[in-house]
Amino acid sequence: MAFNLIVNGEERQLDVEGDTPLLWVIRDDLGLKGTKFGCGAGLCGACTVHLNGEPIRSCSTPVEMAAGQRVTTIEGLSDDGRLHPLQQAWIDQGVPQCGYCQSGQIMTAAHLLATNASPARDDIVAAMTGNLCRCGTYTRIVAAVESVAGTQASDQKEGA
Amino acid sequence: MSMNRRDFLKVSAGTSGGLILAFTLPGCASIQTGYQSETGQWKPDAWLELNKDDTIRFTLAHVEMGQGTYTGLTTLIAEELEVDPSAIDPHFAPVAPEYRNPRFNLQLTGGSTSIASSWEPLRVAGASARQMLMMAAARVWQVDVKECSARDGKVIHPNGNESLRYGQLVELAAKETIRGDVKLKPRSEWKYIGKQNRRLDAREKSTGTAVYGIDVELPGMVYAVVSRPPRHGGKVQSFNGDHVRGLPGVLDVFEIERGVAIVADKYWRARKAQSALSVSWDFSDALDWSDDQVFDFYRAAADDDRGASERSEGNYDKAAKTSGKIIKAEYAQPFLAHVTMEPMNATVWYRGSSAEVWASTQAPDLARIAAARMTDLSPSDITVNTMFLGGGFGRRLTQDFVEEAAAISFHMRLPVKVIWSREEDIQHDLFRPAMLHRMAATMDDGRLTGWHHQIVGPKILTWFIRNAAPAQYPWAPKFMYNTLGKVGLLAEGIAVPKDMSAIEGAVGYPYNVANIDIRHTQTDPGVPITWWRSVGYSHNGFAVETFMDELAYEAGEDPYQFRRKLLASEPRHLAVLDRAAQLAAWDKPVPDGRARGIALFRSFDTYIAQVVEAGIENGAIRVYRVSASVDCGQVVNPRIIEDQIEGGILFGLSAALYGDIHFKNGEVQESNFHDYKVMSQYDRPEVAVDIVDSNETPTGIGEPGVPPVIPALGNALFALTGKRQRSLPLIADA
Repeated sequence: MAFNLIVNGEERQLDVEGDTPLLWVIRDDLGLKGTKFGCGAGLCGACTVHLNGEPIRSCSTPVEMAAGQRVTTIEGLSDDGRLHPLQQAWIDQGVPQCGYCQSGQIMTAAHLLATNASPARDDIVAAMTGNLCRCGTYTRIVAAVESVAGTQASDQKEGA
Repeated sequence: MSMNRRDFLKVSAGTSGGLILAFTLPGCASIQTGYQSETGQWKPDAWLELNKDDTIRFTLAHVEMGQGTYTGLTTLIAEELEVDPSAIDPHFAPVAPEYRNPRFNLQLTGGSTSIASSWEPLRVAGASARQMLMMAAARVWQVDVKECSARDGKVIHPNGNESLRYGQLVELAAKETIRGDVKLKPRSEWKYIGKQNRRLDAREKSTGTAVYGIDVELPGMVYAVVSRPPRHGGKVQSFNGDHVRGLPGVLDVFEIERGVAIVADKYWRARKAQSALSVSWDFSDALDWSDDQVFDFYRAAADDDRGASERSEGNYDKAAKTSGKIIKAEYAQPFLAHVTMEPMNATVWYRGSSAEVWASTQAPDLARIAAARMTDLSPSDITVNTMFLGGGFGRRLTQDFVEEAAAISFHMRLPVKVIWSREEDIQHDLFRPAMLHRMAATMDDGRLTGWHHQIVGPKILTWFIRNAAPAQYPWAPKFMYNTLGKVGLLAEGIAVPKDMSAIEGAVGYPYNVANIDIRHTQTDPGVPITWWRSVGYSHNGFAVETFMDELAYEAGEDPYQFRRKLLASEPRHLAVLDRAAQLAAWDKPVPDGRARGIALFRSFDTYIAQVVEAGIENGAIRVYRVSASVDCGQVVNPRIIEDQIEGGILFGLSAALYGDIHFKNGEVQESNFHDYKVMSQYDRPEVAVDIVDSNETPTGIGEPGVPPVIPALGNALFALTGKRQRSLPLIADA
């Protein structure tokens, strides 16, 4: 089937089966490898992208459901070639370990800050808890989000 | 680690032989060193490449799976080379004897050895190159080299004004020869070691540009999925290949050693076609038991055979006969999966007379053997490209995913990427073995007088040797591979290191007790097993430190003080125990509904104590806080140490709270993150990490965070509920 997607601001034409998960279209048809495959069942968040600005699990979203709509991936998070403030914070805080889940983490965090510029600690935890990290970078993730939001709480982890 | 700097310099000077080779079996150096005038590139050794354009490339012999080698090892070489670590471009090593891990004589990353085994060689490499650059500059200026200095990629003239960039000196430096030892910088002059706080891979990992194995893209590449026998040991009997071959995008369906491969033009088409594949399996040699039988199997083995003595001091049997009190307990720990975030995958391109492998692998030379085994090629025909690893935890030491991609590419004569689903990743994992521990102790007048520990379960080397032994002899003909594996096992403890996987952490029991008897009863239920972050320490930690807690209560003592008294001659153990207790304010009361537990465990030569503060909330265990004190010798990157300890703690808590692989009639029951849970952002406790300032040689950091948190949590729950849990995972309503 032929589809149109607006990916990172660019109109893209595709000819794929409609039930193909958006994840594999992004990775293999569009060649954007920053979005990762983690579970294939919407359970881990590694494949998180934005569909019309909302975070979705691209591994469990058939491409036909996204037809004609706006898809944003980690590669398009910042459109002027510079880093998104969250990406800069991720670097400054040294968040990634293996790094595999971090595209998804950043996409989820970006949506959080787009809808709530100064989230409380609990808001951050609630927004981010669906994004699993096997290396255990959760503390640094919270610190990085708070550093962008300017909401560093006084109860931050010692030594951080 | 002992090492002769002069030997090393032979390599630096471009002659054959040298330290790294001296550790390995006979073979030949394959990394060309010296100056290449066409490219303006100087390779003083197997690691460094300095170029006329001032770029510096560094070959990482260890893989990056999150543990921080990319940053840590680069920091070591940068320190002595006198350049900023961020000015160095690290890349992953090809397979070559120079890059073998001297601890294992294999090119693998594991056992928390990267920094420890590189500490001296990499600093010597950096210092040697710097010295030769300085000698070259001194010759240009006609000054005494001792009067020169180096800074930020330049040699500085004694007058302090003039300087020459390393790029200007590489050609001349290559002609210099160092006589005598190279002088390493004293600790007081370090700029980066102990201070470096950034991760050099953070940028690419925050922008989606880091390339993992799963991201490899090749011209004309096709995708494959594999249907594997649902029970280990099952074999393909027949399958409906003709039907599946007609599905959209499907290029071929065929049997390989490990199952049935479906190849398609796109991953999703291969995956979709798999649902139409129907395979009849021959289960006559397959695993057939259920996990509730495994501990009975172990108990029978333990009754039958008290096991090989692994450590004996005093006379435990005599103490047991004469002692006033004997305390006994049995601990049972389940099979555990790795669940790296990046599911297993590999890409192989078989080209007739050569092949190339792209993989997130912890063992490039084992990947090469795996690919050779599945094709008509020799290891020397095969190139391995190591990519960033989306987690390793020991899983990627086994190369089954490379075997599959190699077998399929050999059949297709095309570049092939194999990707495992998460379900396949869990169900066809090689697991942390289930283990049984029988503990006994004698007490006289409240004093611990005897310690008996019988470990019951399999050893891992048996499962690992198949590719590991041939990798040590890559020139051996392939028909010898099976023999090499068998010889490798026979040589255990003689030509190859003793397999400590079942007993590590048990034999290192640190407490001062007069009569000690530690035994291992070897018994293997036939489930595929492999290394799992902290390996034997993971289960021995729970058994030893939970039983110590039980004994403290038996003695009527505070669990911290009870341990303290038995550690008078173990200053490094004692120091981290005291510091963790202090960090957690052990002597202060906890909030209502919470309790604390403590545990201390040395692993990978690193000392670590942890205090867990936990409670039960809405019927579930809640971990509020973990306080850890760690002594891993000299700190290279304090932030990465914090990260590894915190990451290890979360990894251990995932096992303590959720980890449990079940078998039913030989089939793994768990399949994805909904039924094989791992710690989430919501579950995260506050973690405080205290690092002991030390001049000792650096020791392991990737794994030691894991073992103590499991017993520390169990001990906290006992303090809270008064109910002792002797099996994992821990439950709220014990």
